Amino acid sequence: MHERAKKAVKDLQLQQFVNKATLLKDDHRKSLAPQVFGARHNDIRQLAGNIKAHTLDHLDHYLKLFIERATANGSVVHIARDGSEANEIALQIAKKEKLTLCVKSKSMVTEETLLLPALEGIGVKTIETDLGEFILQLDGDAPSHIVTPMIHKDRVAAAKAFQRQLGARYTEDPSELSMIAREYLRDKYQQADLGISGGNFLVAETGSLVLCTNEGNGRFCTSAPRVHIAFVGIEKLVPSYRHLTVMLKLLARTATAQPLTCYTHIVTGPRRADEHDGPQQVHIILVDNGRSKILADPDYRDALRCIRCGACLNACPVYRKVGGHSYGAVYSGPIGAVITPLLRERQNYKDLPNASSLCGACYEACPVKIDIPRMLIKLRRDIVSAKLTGFFERLTFRLFAASLKRPWTYRLSNWFQRKALRMLAKKDGYVRKAPGPGAGWTAERDMPAPPAQSFRDWWKKNHS
Amino acid sequence: MDPMAAPDRMTHEEFLTHIAKALGRPAAPQRADGLMPDAPQVDDELVRLAGPSDNLVDLFDQRAREVGMEVRRTSAAGLRADLLALVGELKIGSAVVSLSKLDKPDDLLGALAGAGVKLLDWHGDHRMATGFVADVGITDVHHALAETGTMICTSDSAHTRAMTLAPPLHVAIVRKCDILPDLLDYFWLIKDLPAPRLPSSQVLITGPSKTADIEGVLVTGIHGPARVIILLQVD
Repeated sequence: MHERAKKAVKDLQLQQFVNKATLLKDDHRKSLAPQVFGARHNDIRQLAGNIKAHTLDHLDHYLKLFIERATANGSVVHIARDGSEANEIALQIAKKEKLTLCVKSKSMVTEETLLLPALEGIGVKTIETDLGEFILQLDGDAPSHIVTPMIHKDRVAAAKAFQRQLGARYTEDPSELSMIAREYLRDKYQQADLGISGGNFLVAETGSLVLCTNEGNGRFCTSAPRVHIAFVGIEKLVPSYRHLTVMLKLLARTATAQPLTCYTHIVTGPRRADEHDGPQQVHIILVDNGRSKILADPDYRDALRCIRCGACLNACPVYRKVGGHSYGAVYSGPIGAVITPLLRERQNYKDLPNASSLCGACYEACPVKIDIPRMLIKLRRDIVSAKLTGFFERLTFRLFAASLKRPWTYRLSNWFQRKALRMLAKKDGYVRKAPGPGAGWTAERDMPAPPAQSFRDWWKKNHS
Repeated sequence: MDPMAAPDRMTHEEFLTHIAKALGRPAAPQRADGLMPDAPQVDDELVRLAGPSDNLVDLFDQRAREVGMEVRRTSAAGLRADLLALVGELKIGSAVVSLSKLDKPDDLLGALAGAGVKLLDWHGDHRMATGFVADVGITDVHHALAETGTMICTSDSAHTRAMTLAPPLHVAIVRKCDILPDLLDYFWLIKDLPAPRLPSSQVLITGPSKTADIEGVLVTGIHGPARVIILLQVD
C-alpha cells in the first residue's frame, strides 16, 4: 500500500478531487443527521448498533427465518461459501434459463467475487448501469469509493471513453454525458433478460431485499428483466421492518445528507399473479466469502455491522490524501482497512491497519458505532504476534523495549542515539538522511540533531 | 429445501450449522418462528421525527420541495381542473395512468382522454413497453410520508412498477388522507401482512432520479423521471 499511497499523494488531480469531495460530504454528514436528531443522535446510533449486534449474535436464527420467509414469498435462496461458488450459482441460473444480456446495478459483493468476467466468460454480455460504474466499465477502470465510485475521475476521461466506446459525439458537459448514457441504457433495460443487483438490507421477518439508490437503475435491473439475481453478504440482515426503519433513517442522512435515497426499493419475491411487471424469478445468493470467519471472532464481529454508508471514508484524513485505489482492495478507507485483512489473508494486507493515525474520526462518523480504531490496534497486534512484520521492524522494537527496562539501558540508548544523530547531521544541524528504520522518517521530513549534552546532565550540572 | 444443491455444495442446514458453530453454539435452532425475544426495542420517542400533531400537509409540501420535487396545491373540488390544466401546460401526448384509489377515477380518465391525452394500455405489459414510450406517468400513491417528503408506490393489479420509473415525467396526486407522519407509521400499517401477501415491489420515492457521479455535478433524470410534479390535494 505504501507505494500506491506515495504515487497517490503526488497525483494532483486525485488530490483536488478526492480532497474536495470528501470534505464536502463530511460537512454534509456532520450537518444533517445531528441537526435532524439533535440530542438523540448518539442514542439512535447506539440503537442502530445494537440492532446489528443482536442480529449478528443470532445470525443462525435470523438466516433461518429469512430463508423460510423468502422461500414462502416465491424467492429462491442460495448459499455461497465463497466468491467462486457465488459466481457458479449465477452462471448455472444463466445457463439453465438461456440468458444472454445482463444489466447490473452497483454491488460491492460482485466486486469481491469478480462476477463480470465470469458472466462474460459464458457469453452473457453484462453492462454496469450505475452511471459511475458504467463510465468506469467503458474506461477499463475500477471503483475507488463505496458510494461515489468515480470520485477519482473527471469529465474529460468520461467524454473520451464515451466517444471511443460508444461512438458518441464529444462533450464534456456532465448533463449531456448523462443523457447519452441514459439513452444507451434504456435500450438495454428493454432487451435484457437478466438483472443483477446487490442489497443494502435483508429483512428476516418477511424475506425482503432492500435496495437504496438514487439513479433508478437499481429499480430497472430488479424490475425489467425476467430473471433477477441479488448478491448479498450474510451480514446485511435485520430482523424486521421496524428495525429496518432505524437503519433507513440513518443511512442516507449519514452517507449523502438526504433524508432517504431517491428510491428505497423493497423487493418481496417475484411478480405476483395479478401484477403486470416485475421479474418472473427472484434469486437471492447469500454470500459468506470470509464473513463467518469475522463472525467467529468476538474482537472483530462488530465490523460486520457496517451498512456501507461511506461516512468513515469521508471523515478519514488518510483516505482524503491517498484515495481509494491506494488500499488495493475492494473495500477501502477505515472499514476497508479492518475487514480486508480479516476477509482475506492477513499477510496480503498487513499494511492496511497501519494506514491510520488512530484519530478516531471514523468511529465518530459511524452510524452503527463500529469501534474501528480499537480493531485497527488489535489487528496491528495480531500481525505482530503472527510474525508477519519484517525482521528489522521486530528487531527495532525489541531493542526499544530492552532500552526501557532499566535506567542505565535507557541512558545508554539515549547516549548512543545522541552521538549517532549528531554524526549524521549536516552543518545546519538537521539530519536529512538516516539509515535503517530512520530512513522512513527522513524520507518525508528532516530531523533536528539533539544537543551534545542531555537535559539530565545539564540539569545536574546547573541546578542540583 | 435446496433446489440448487449439487454434490459439492453445502445445504442450507449445513450452512446454518456452520454459522451456529462460528457463534459458539453446537447447532442452529430447530425452529425460527419470528424475532428472538431479546430483539432490541425500537423506542418510538427516540426514533420518531414527525408525529400526528404536525401539520402533515405543510410538512410534506416542504420536504418534497427540499428533495427537488415540484408541489402544486389543489383541492378535492379543483383536482380535475388542475390536472387537466397541468397536462395542457406540459403538452402531454401519451400517458400511462393509474388513479384507481381516487374518487371517480373513470371520470378523470375520461377527462384526460377528452383533452387529447393518449392513454396507453399497460395491462399485462411485462416488458414495460408502454412505460418506455409514454411522455408521463400519472398516478395516485398508496401512501406518503411527511417526515421525508416521500411517496410510497407499490405494485398491484392496478399499479405497475414502470409508471413511476420509465417515463421522463411523473405526475403524482397526493391527498391529505394519504399522508402518514413518519416512516415508523408506514411499516406499522403493514406489519401484520404475511410475506406472500406483500406486494412484490414497494418503492419509497423521495425525489427525481439523481446522480452526481461526474465530478460531483448534480444531474437529474439519469434513469428514472427527471421531473416529479405533485398535485397536493389539501383537503
